[in-house]
Amino acid sequence: MVGSVPLVWVLTLAAGLFCIGLFGALSRRNIVGMLMGIELMLNSVNINLVAFWRYLQPTGTAGLVFAIFTIAVAAAEVAVGLAMVIAIYRARLTINADEIDTLKG
Amino acid sequence: MNFQIADFTRLIPEFLLLAIAAMVLLGDVLTRWSKGKEALNDRTEEAISMTLMGLGLAFVMVLIQGGFFSWMQFGDWKFYDFSIFQNLRSSGLDGSILGGAFVVDPLTHIGRLVFIGAAFVTVILTSKAKPSNNPAEFYALILFATLGMIFMTAGGELIMIYLGIELTSIPLYVLAGYFRRNPVSTEAGAKYYIFGALSSAILLFGMSLLLGLTLMNGQTMTTTPTSLRSVATAVELAFANPEGPSQGVAILALLFILAGMAYKVAIVPFHAWSPDVYQGAPTSMTAFISTASKTAGFFLLYRVLVTGFGAPSILGTAAIGTSTSFGGWTSLIAILAALTMLVGNLAALPQTNAKRMLAYSSIAQAGFLMLGLVGTQRDSGISLLMYLIAYTVTNLSAFGILALVEDAVGGTDFSNLNGLGRRAPGLALLLTVAILSLAGIPPLSGFFVKFYVFIAAWQEGAKWLVIFAVSNTVISLYYYLRFLKAVYFAPAETDEPIKVGFGPGIVMTAITLLIFGLGIVPTWLYGVLEQATIRIAAQ
Repeated sequence: MVGSVPLVWVLTLAAGLFCIGLFGALSRRNIVGMLMGIELMLNSVNINLVAFWRYLQPTGTAGLVFAIFTIAVAAAEVAVGLAMVIAIYRARLTINADEIDTLKG
Repeated sequence: MNFQIADFTRLIPEFLLLAIAAMVLLGDVLTRWSKGKEALNDRTEEAISMTLMGLGLAFVMVLIQGGFFSWMQFGDWKFYDFSIFQNLRSSGLDGSILGGAFVVDPLTHIGRLVFIGAAFVTVILTSKAKPSNNPAEFYALILFATLGMIFMTAGGELIMIYLGIELTSIPLYVLAGYFRRNPVSTEAGAKYYIFGALSSAILLFGMSLLLGLTLMNGQTMTTTPTSLRSVATAVELAFANPEGPSQGVAILALLFILAGMAYKVAIVPFHAWSPDVYQGAPTSMTAFISTASKTAGFFLLYRVLVTGFGAPSILGTAAIGTSTSFGGWTSLIAILAALTMLVGNLAALPQTNAKRMLAYSSIAQAGFLMLGLVGTQRDSGISLLMYLIAYTVTNLSAFGILALVEDAVGGTDFSNLNGLGRRAPGLALLLTVAILSLAGIPPLSGFFVKFYVFIAAWQEGAKWLVIFAVSNTVISLYYYLRFLKAVYFAPAETDEPIKVGFGPGIVMTAITLLIFGLGIVPTWLYGVLEQATIRIAAQ
């Protein structure tokens, strides 16, 4: 199973996912869309971690533990983010980043 | 790897902070039996006093554990000559906590003191601009963020570093956007959140690459693969073999990690969030974010770069035109430092809002701070740490006084500062000292630490950078002096005096004395900071 798919392919998938997420986070004007982009980036990190664990050190646990921490913290982070989106929607009735521009200069 | 009983004593300050945060939350729940303005006031008072007591207790504990009392002698009687103090002290340093994930060295002790002290001042500053409802959450979040900063400073391993960054950032997002009904505050919170989450993801990608690098080494069965020490060996090996693919991975990982951390400490070109967040957040929170959080980021950057990437083959040099090549991460840091100074200073010039101008000034200060990172020799490290402490104290003072003025006047534009010299001579004097220290006027601390980082960078060979930095100091004088113009010379609309509470007044005076003290007798910190840098270099 490990032999049939080289590590480089998996890493390429993760890097591609990271780039897509980064593009989404930077180009989306909707805050929820940005959050989705950031989630893609975090998931590409998880793919990286698990792939490194599986291919390079399947007897250890470092990659797995790191991935579990990443998932848990990302969930906490997104919970705060969505709460913030709700707060900003209540204050302004929009979540379009272009219209949230009181502070500038 | 396991948690040992002996580790407990070394983590006493952290456990204290955690316990106090839990107590603040629980105490609020238990007293939530009546409604109305008065009950809310009571609950706020209760949360504030409990938080202050906890922070003070933790501060004293760190002082004892770090041995900072040991030089206090009154005649024959030594201050620390109690057996309980000696026990606490001997069980304070070193040890391999959680398998080396949490490093207790002098740098950690310095970090604890700085963050706990900054949190203490911040809590006192909030005493007038009270949180709207559920005050305990506000203060518990400050405590959690303080805890996270300590973890950032002490992290000797990638997972712990990531957890520390998140434990700092997530409460700060909430605190920046705490006043939900205020559209400016929510906007600041949302912007802080989006940029912070993005930078965490970038940082994490770099960390995952580093993990791959250490696992590829194969010699990691005995050590934790995510520890900074394994990272150091893996990176050194990767650079020793430039033909292989791992050198590219190491460079990529370093770039990702630098980018992620540059967001946290607002280094150009990753600074765009900070003026908006600093301006929109509640001013007391701005004081906390701009000092403690930035200092934690720099402590972390220092530890990661020197411990993880400190091998001479990857250092390079920041000097141009010498026999050694201009390369490695030190030269990248030097270029970023020059950019950060320039952009921060130029953008600060046209500002009309004092808070926003101080935000740009903080960016410029980060540029000066990075002069201490262009090399890994001892003077660089000491000057960086000393600058960080002086910066924290001075910026805390400047933003703190702005917070007090905002409470009384209702705004932070320069026009709100007009006539402050007549309306509140004491506050105006304290603000003057803080601003002059930021500008680097002797004999204040800002002058000495700037001088010291310049010397350190000059010794590292970054002469062009030092000359550039000195000319930037001159630019910065212009906008710092605008403060003094508004405070002393601009005509005021009213001469009504501004009242300042007892607590904030005392604390601000103490901080100002510290600004003077660090400037006049800068050597009293030298020994401790030297220990910290020696220990970091030895790791």
